Amino acid sequence: MYLVANIDVEICAAKSCKLCTQYCPEANTILYSEEMGKDKGFKYGSAYVAVDRCKGCAQCVWVCDNMAKNNAIKMIMIDQLPLAAITDNVTYGEKSTVAVLSDPMVVG
Amino acid sequence: MSLDYVKFSGGFEKFMPKEYRDMVEHGPFGKKISVSQMGSFKEILEEHPMCAGCAMTLFIRLAIIAFPNPEDTITVGTAGCGRLAISQAAIPFVYGNYGDQNGVASGLSRGLRLRFGDKPKDVVVMAGDGGTADIGFQQVLHSWFRKERFTTIMLDNEVYGNTGGQESGMTNRGAVLKMAPLGKKFEKMDMLQMAKVAGCAYVATVVPNNPRRVESVIKKAVLIAREVGSTYIQAYTSCNIEYAIPTDKVMEDAKTVENDRYQFTEYVSDEAKQYLTERYGYKDYLPKPAAPAAAIPNKA
Ligand SMILES: Cc1ncc(C[n+]2csc(CCOP(=O)(O)OP(=O)(O)O)c2C)c(N)n1
Ligand code: SF4
Ligand code: SF4
Ligand code: SF4
Repeated sequence: MYLVANIDVEICAAKSCKLCTQYCPEANTILYSEEMGKDKGFKYGSAYVAVDRCKGCAQCVWVCDNMAKNNAIKMIMIDQLPLAAITDNVTYGEKSTVAVLSDPMVVG
Repeated sequence: MSLDYVKFSGGFEKFMPKEYRDMVEHGPFGKKISVSQMGSFKEILEEHPMCAGCAMTLFIRLAIIAFPNPEDTITVGTAGCGRLAISQAAIPFVYGNYGDQNGVASGLSRGLRLRFGDKPKDVVVMAGDGGTADIGFQQVLHSWFRKERFTTIMLDNEVYGNTGGQESGMTNRGAVLKMAPLGKKFEKMDMLQMAKVAGCAYVATVVPNNPRRVESVIKKAVLIAREVGSTYIQAYTSCNIEYAIPTDKVMEDAKTVENDRYQFTEYVSDEAKQYLTERYGYKDYLPKPAAPAAAIPNKA
């Protein structure tokens, strides 16, 4: 079993600063959805992790805790993820370049 | 390469892998993108085998995003960790033998100019500190003396990371490494000074914990190399394996090293300043308006 980063949509969407992806060493791994969190009344959407690209370094956790001061990211065991954004199921919006989760997959 | 490279051939669209489709539909080719949009477009860099949390990986990721015209860029690399990622990007990569990269890039950039004339084709070398300052030293310096028009980026992790921890010319004096058990006996080489003496038109140091600055120096270096001359960027890109930096402390380490020996420095030759201003509309190098004359104290 291994650790991956997991972003709490509600905590992130309250700030949505987009810092973590600028510091994640891996490309195409922390993405943004302008839709996530909207159902809960948040305006700017949330970051999410394409976990099959995540190498589990926890740099994003440090960035969110210390730079964004928002504590929205935790490392969790892959099988504990309620919704895993397996990259095959991560797509990009048709008309915009906004990333959206097309079909979150339940793991476990 | 041209933009046709990233189009579907008729009828093949639905058979292409997802990564390719994302690249065609949401990639950065032909668009102006910046680090502030990261996470909302498909990046040119793909998955690769570099270590988890490696700052060199982050730097390479940022550098590729910063290329002003990625569809007209060719990267050149050599033995060392960086090529493991640079080669996994959707732009052409040329692998020079260890230390040959600046020789290869010289030939390549001259050839591209013969073939494509005025249309800019950017050549960017990215190699380790060992590849640049030790094994490739002669070719690096000579390419600068010849004012070859391409960008050289040193991925300075202050060690031979790929081969398990030998000291390089860029290792700090006193550093103890697996294969330098008594500590390095000599000072870190001053490649920045050498780049200036050898006539580079642009020389900058940068750390990956400032993505916008990485973007800005890469853009300037690549643009200046189109016409003015050689450009050199020296980036601190720690090796968390050989320096035992916990992966979630990599950015803290970068900050410490930035304060210690990697403060931001930038040298731009007068010719390069003029070129950036006139050709690309940079405002940073316009003469500063004269400061208003200091008020004369009214002595009553
Ligand atoms: C001619 C030659 N000599 C030695 C090697 C073995 N070798 C591969 S990578 C490497 C060291 C790379 O160190 P550096 O350039 O600092 O890059 P890093 O791996 O630290 O990023 C060496 C010695 C080689 N590939 N070719
Ligand atoms: S750093 Fe934290 S708050 Fe900012 S976008 Fe990332 S997860 Fe959200
Ligand atoms: S744990 Fe590391 S690889 Fe995974 S999302 Fe966070 S920064 Fe990226
Ligand atoms: S050995 Fe060091 S420089 Fe090479 S990929 Fe691993 S952490 Fe990065």
